[in-house]
Amino acid sequence: MFERQRRLSWISVTGIVLLSVALAIIPFVASTTGLRQASQIIISVLAVLGVNVATGYGGMISLGHGVFVGVGAFATGFYLDDLSLPWLVAIALGAVTAGLSGALVGLPALRIKGIHLALVTLGMAIVFQPLSKRFPKITGGVSGQGVEARFDAPNWWPGDSRMASAVYRYLFCVLIVVLALWATWNVVNSRFGRSMRALRDNHTAAAIYGVDLVSARVTTFAISAGLAGLCGALQVLLVPFVSQDKFPAQESLVIYASAVVGGLGTIWGPVLGVIARTAVGKAGDLVAGFDGLGPIGDFFSLLDESAFVFGVGLIVLTFFFPRGLAGIGRKRQPSG
Amino acid sequence: MAGATSDPRLESNLLATFFLQTTMDLVLLLQRVFDALFNSAIYSSLALALVIIFRSTGLLNFAQGEMATFTAYIAFVLLAGPQPRLTGGGLAGLVPGVPFTVPLAIVGAVLCGMAVGAATERVLIRPLGGASDLALVNITIGLLLATNSLMAQWWGTGPRIFPAIFPSGAGQHFTILGARLRYSTIGVWIVLLSVLILLILLLRHTRVGLAFRAVSISPSNAELVGVRVGPTLMYGWAMASGFGALAACLSANSVLLEPNMMLRVLVYAFAAATLGGLDSPKGALVGGLIIGLSQTLIPAYVPFIGFELSVLPALLAMVLILLIRPAGLYGTKRIERV
Repeated sequence: MFERQRRLSWISVTGIVLLSVALAIIPFVASTTGLRQASQIIISVLAVLGVNVATGYGGMISLGHGVFVGVGAFATGFYLDDLSLPWLVAIALGAVTAGLSGALVGLPALRIKGIHLALVTLGMAIVFQPLSKRFPKITGGVSGQGVEARFDAPNWWPGDSRMASAVYRYLFCVLIVVLALWATWNVVNSRFGRSMRALRDNHTAAAIYGVDLVSARVTTFAISAGLAGLCGALQVLLVPFVSQDKFPAQESLVIYASAVVGGLGTIWGPVLGVIARTAVGKAGDLVAGFDGLGPIGDFFSLLDESAFVFGVGLIVLTFFFPRGLAGIGRKRQPSG
Repeated sequence: MAGATSDPRLESNLLATFFLQTTMDLVLLLQRVFDALFNSAIYSSLALALVIIFRSTGLLNFAQGEMATFTAYIAFVLLAGPQPRLTGGGLAGLVPGVPFTVPLAIVGAVLCGMAVGAATERVLIRPLGGASDLALVNITIGLLLATNSLMAQWWGTGPRIFPAIFPSGAGQHFTILGARLRYSTIGVWIVLLSVLILLILLLRHTRVGLAFRAVSISPSNAELVGVRVGPTLMYGWAMASGFGALAACLSANSVLLEPNMMLRVLVYAFAAATLGGLDSPKGALVGGLIIGLSQTLIPAYVPFIGFELSVLPALLAMVLILLIRPAGLYGTKRIERV
């Protein structure tokens, strides 16, 4: 992976075509609610992408990216309502705020590495809920609070029904996610991206070759947290309500699990991870519908819990496909 | 107040109030210390579990808390018979319920926990054979997620009342200098210390203990002199999970049994283990004591940090120790050679 891939493999091309077709069809077949749910699933790619940047490309295990999603959401709500900033500015600032908080976490990550960093970020994920309850002005305390501002379609947009607005929001989210994927792809293949990966593989060697460890680590974490924050900001755009109960520690862990299951260190990994999460959720809904199977039915109802499936999936994939879903078809590389 | 100082009676009154106030503050402080001792024992024992595994396998078992909670549920099932989920029937119906007494149920749960720990090592950790940090984190996080939702599915998310093992009703306490030291606090410490003494005897005077100490110091050297590393590590995991199970069963009465019960406790235990030095059992005990005390005392004297946020100082302490002195109080210093 040290060389930029010039050609897309046929698997990638088929995948991109199928995905684009699916994305194009959704607005025609879904209801307003369905469209909002689809948008929510699509933006969750950003949070997983954030973990992928920190862990997959930067080699820093982060179990607390739900925190940055939360920071992004709360900050955007604050900029919109308390500072009455326009939407685009609020979203950008929300992502930047999360990025800055990520840089703060990245600073200790200079000395705290590997499994210890995993420990600290897990602690962060557990502390975030009680901490956000402590700042009710911004977070709405225990029960959360609504955001006044609405993201509606502008005047030039055809139609002014609720559906038209929903389609507008959906396309906006898709656009942002595609842009973010494209930007990340370019960053990881830039000079900075190479130093990032060099740092992951052998930080001593990287330092000897002139990589500035401090700025590389902090920037990597800031970018990754910024992506997660962008996800939080877009959540506010879709549902104008912020609440701490969307960000339990388990959410952070499922985001991490999605990144691993999808494939760390690959650009399509986060997309695959989110698709897997969605598929598992849908399959769970299906099997949960069956009744009267006794204990077997109970076992199936476990599949309804995406946390359970992802926990087991994490273990199974670590054993059999250490490079995640994105790595299944590929040959093993000498160093990972 | 110039007139006040001239009045000797008022002065002595003020003095008396001051003394009374100070004594009350001191009694309150002592009371808080006594209250903290209970939590300290729990954190020490979970921290011990983490340390035993880190010392021998070099991995932080993020699933330790959830595995412990699972055993507390087993004790609960042993005591109360099969528990239907709050929403209806459940797989738990398959577990035969035998009327146990509380201590017997806890012993059963600890044994179960040890079996689960040994199985985890055998099935999930050993085949990986010293894989990267990332793989080990994935395994333990996977276990955490899976166990957590398994418990929620089988036993429901609603809190359950777990019977107390020690008398802990109103009035069941010693009074020392005006502060109440509850029987349960003493009981928990007696259990913890006697298990510790057992552990030390086991490590010092049995072949298995000797093998375990050898493996902890250097697995490859131990293997060269004929120690079977795999099974020895398995005993280590069993021991660790036993401590975890004990922590969960002893605390389940005071914090109410629910699937997320140990999530916060895990942060305290990790903070305690880090403070003591991640590879030092003595450090785990001392760290647990310090973290337990600070958990009760800091919220009491720093108003911003209420009960809800009491986990924040523990996390900050953990970060600071890892930054400034990663070896903690008693841990082994690691040197990175280039």
